[in-house]
Amino acid sequence: MASATDTPPGVVLPPPITERGGVGWAYANLFSTWYNTVLTFIYAALLGVALWFGLSWIVLEADWKVIATLGGRLIIGQYNTEFACPGQNCFWRPQASLLLVSVLLGMAWAVSGDKAAKRIAIGVAAITVAFAFLPYSMDQMGLDVRLLLVANLPAVAAGWVLARYTPLGTVRWIVILGVLFFLVILVLVGGLPGVPGLQPVSTIYWGGLMLNLLLAVTGITLSLPIGIALALGRRSSLPLVKLLCVVFIEVMRGMPLITLLFMSQVLVPLAFPQDFSTNSLFRAGVILTLFSSAYMAENIRGGLQALHPGQVEAARALGLAGWQTTLLISLPQAIRNVIPAIVGQFISLFKDTLLVYIIGMLDVVEFSRAFIQGNAKYLASARELFLFLALVFWIFTYTMSYVSRRVEAHLRVGHR
Amino acid sequence: MIMIEALRGLTYYKGVPLWRHALVIQWALQIISGVIVVVLVTTFFTNITNTIQDREIPHGFSFLSREYQTPIGQHFLPYESSDSFLYAFGVAATNTIIVSVVGVILATALGIVVGVARISGNWLVSRTSLIYIEIFRNIPLLVQLFFWFYVVLALPPVRQGYVIADRIYINNAGLSLPWPSPSNWDAAWVWLAVALASIIAAMVLYHALTRRETLTGRASYPLVTGSVIAVAIAVAGWLFVSAAFGDAPFAISDPAPQGTFGRIAGGFTISGGLMALLAGLVIYTSSFIAEIVRAGIQSVGRGQTEAARSLGLAPMAALRHVTFPQALRVIIPPLISQCLNLTKNSSLAGAIGYSDLANVAKTMTQTAPAVSIYVLLAAAYLAMSLTYSLIGNIYNRSIRLVGN
Repeated sequence: MASATDTPPGVVLPPPITERGGVGWAYANLFSTWYNTVLTFIYAALLGVALWFGLSWIVLEADWKVIATLGGRLIIGQYNTEFACPGQNCFWRPQASLLLVSVLLGMAWAVSGDKAAKRIAIGVAAITVAFAFLPYSMDQMGLDVRLLLVANLPAVAAGWVLARYTPLGTVRWIVILGVLFFLVILVLVGGLPGVPGLQPVSTIYWGGLMLNLLLAVTGITLSLPIGIALALGRRSSLPLVKLLCVVFIEVMRGMPLITLLFMSQVLVPLAFPQDFSTNSLFRAGVILTLFSSAYMAENIRGGLQALHPGQVEAARALGLAGWQTTLLISLPQAIRNVIPAIVGQFISLFKDTLLVYIIGMLDVVEFSRAFIQGNAKYLASARELFLFLALVFWIFTYTMSYVSRRVEAHLRVGHR
Repeated sequence: MIMIEALRGLTYYKGVPLWRHALVIQWALQIISGVIVVVLVTTFFTNITNTIQDREIPHGFSFLSREYQTPIGQHFLPYESSDSFLYAFGVAATNTIIVSVVGVILATALGIVVGVARISGNWLVSRTSLIYIEIFRNIPLLVQLFFWFYVVLALPPVRQGYVIADRIYINNAGLSLPWPSPSNWDAAWVWLAVALASIIAAMVLYHALTRRETLTGRASYPLVTGSVIAVAIAVAGWLFVSAAFGDAPFAISDPAPQGTFGRIAGGFTISGGLMALLAGLVIYTSSFIAEIVRAGIQSVGRGQTEAARSLGLAPMAALRHVTFPQALRVIIPPLISQCLNLTKNSSLAGAIGYSDLANVAKTMTQTAPAVSIYVLLAAAYLAMSLTYSLIGNIYNRSIRLVGN
C-alpha cells in the first residue's frame, strides 16, 4: 500500500457553483445567453399572468355544478331514459360492460408486465371506485350503481389472477377474449329480444362517452386490417387493383368526414332497400372505419416504402413465397416503423367519433351542447362544461399516445 | 395476338398447373375485383336513380338558377336572399376559402414559432411549447370550437364591450377593426394596379440582385433594395393618384357602435362564429405544424451545420443556406397535408354558426335535390384537395435532389 505522501492527491476542487446543482442547471437552461435571460423573464411573466387569471377563474368564478347535474348522463347519454328503456333500470348494462373491460385490463397488466398496463389498470379501477363515493344522494345514485362501480376493483384483480395462474395468460387469449367480450358488450348494450332484463335498446338512444368509445374501438380494430389491405393494394403490381385502391384512398382523403357522414345519411337509404339500411349508427360506423382506413393505408404505405429493399430481396433469396415475404418480413417491420403514425391515426379516429352529431346521434359532446341549448340557466356554465370535456378527451388521447410510446420502446429493445 | 400466342403455348404447356400459375391468379384476382366493384357501383347508382324516379324526388341541376331565398350568416361577397343557388354556393365556397387561407397563414406562423421554441435551449420556453402542443393536439377540434364559441358568447354585449384605443371593439358580436375602405372606386383601382406593379417590379429587382450577388460575390442587398423600391413606388403612386383624382384612394373606416342596442357600423367586423372558428382551427392546427417543424429541423444532421461552419459560413448563413433548405424538404409535404386538414376541418363551422360550404350545402338540401348538391359539394372539396396536391407536387419537383 503506497503511502499517501508518495502521490499527494491533487486537491480536487468542487466545480464552481455555476456548473452544478440547481444553480448550474438554471445557468445552463435558463440564463445561458443574454437573449435566453430576456426570454426567461418574458415567459415567466406571461406564464405567471396566465396562471393567475386561469386559476382564479377556475377556483373562484367558474361554476362547475353543471357537471354534477349531468353526472352519469355524460357517460351514457339518453340510454337509461324512459324512452330508451321503458319500465326498467338499464344502467347496469353499460356498467357490466365496463367490468368486462376491467377484467381485460387486469389480464393485460399481468401478461405485459409493463408499468403502462399496470398504471392504466389501477387507474381505471381507482377512478371507478372513486366515482362510487361521489356525494350524490342515494336517490340520484343508487346502491346498485355504486356497488357495480366498486366491483371494478375485484374485476381488475380477477383478470390479473386469471392471466397469472391459468393458461389464459397469453397475448393470444387476451385478443380472443377481447373480441368475445366486445361482442358480449354489444349484446349487453343493445339487448336481446325476448330475454328478460335485456330488452333491446334502439341504437338511436345509445349516447354519451359510451358511444364515442364503442365507435372508436370498432373503428380501430377494423381500420387497421382494411388499411393494411389497401396499402398492399396500392403498392401492388396489378394495375387494376392498384387503380381501385388509389381511387378509394384519394376520394376518402379528399372529402371532409362530416360531408361523407352526411352523404351516407342521404344517399345510402336511396341506394339500398329500405329495410337494409335503417340503422344510421351502423352506417356512421362503416363510414368512420372506411375513412380511417384510407389514412391508415397511407401510413402503412409510408412504412413499406421506408423498408430497405434488401429485406424483401433477402427473403426471396431464402426461398420465401411472395405472401410469406409480405406477411412475415415486410409488414411486421413496416408496421413497427410507423407505430407512432398508426396510433396518431387511432387518436384521430377517436376524436372524429364526435362528428356523429351530424347524423343526430347524441354523443357526449352533442349531448352536452343540446343540454346547454335546452336549459338556458346553464348557458353561463357552457365554458366549464366544455373545459371538462376537453380534460376527459385529453386523458383518453394522452393515454393512447403514452401506450404507443411504451410499445415502441418495447419493440426497440431487440432492435437496436 | 397475345391470345393466339397464349393458346399456342397451352397446347404443349408442361409448366406450373394453370390454377397455381402466378399470372393466371393475378389476372383472375384483378378481373374478379374489377367486376365486383363495377357491379357494386352500378347497383348503387341505378338504385339511386330508380328510387329518385319511383319516389319522384326532384333531381337535376335546374335548381341552380332558382332563387335560394335563405339568408347566409356572415359572407364576404355581397349576397341577398334573391340571389340564385349557384351564386349562394359560390358565396359559401368563398367563405370556406377565406377561412382556409387566413387560417393556414395564421396556423403556419404560430406553428413555426411554437415549433422553433420547442427546440430552444431555454428550458422554460421549450417546456411551454411542449405543454401547448400536448394540450391542443389531443383535444378534439369540435370541443375546442364549442369552448371558444361559448367564450365569445360570454363576452359582454356591444355597449359594455371592451374597446381598445377607441377603435377596436371586442364584444359578443365579434371583433371590429378599422379597415381601409375605398373613398373613390376609380382611384382605388388605379392605386391597386400601381401597388401590384410595384410588387412585381420589386420581385424582378430582387431576383436580378440575388443573381448578381451569386455570380459576382459583390454585396447587392436584394431584400432591402427590393422592399425600398416597392414602398417608394406605392407611396409615389398614392400621392399621384390623390392629386389626379382629388381624393385619396382609400380612407380608414373606424368601427363605431350605433343606437342603444349598439350595432357596430363601419370598419370590418369578424363575427363571433368566425372568431371562434379561426381561434379553434388555428390553435389546433398550429400544434400539429409545430411538431412538423420541430421534426424537420431535427432531421438535419449536426454534421451539416458543422461542415457549413468549418467551410467558413457564419452561424446565420449556415442556418439560412444549409440547415433550413434541408429542413424545408422534410417540413413542406406534411405541412401541406396539415393545411388541407385545416380546410377540411373548417367544415365543422356549421356547429358554431358560421356559414361555410358544407353548412350551406346541408341547408340547401332542404329546398333542392340532395344528390345534385352532393355532387357539387364533393367536386368542390376534391378541387380544393387537388389544388393542395398540385402545390405540393410543384414544390416537390422544385426541391428534388439533383441526380436522384
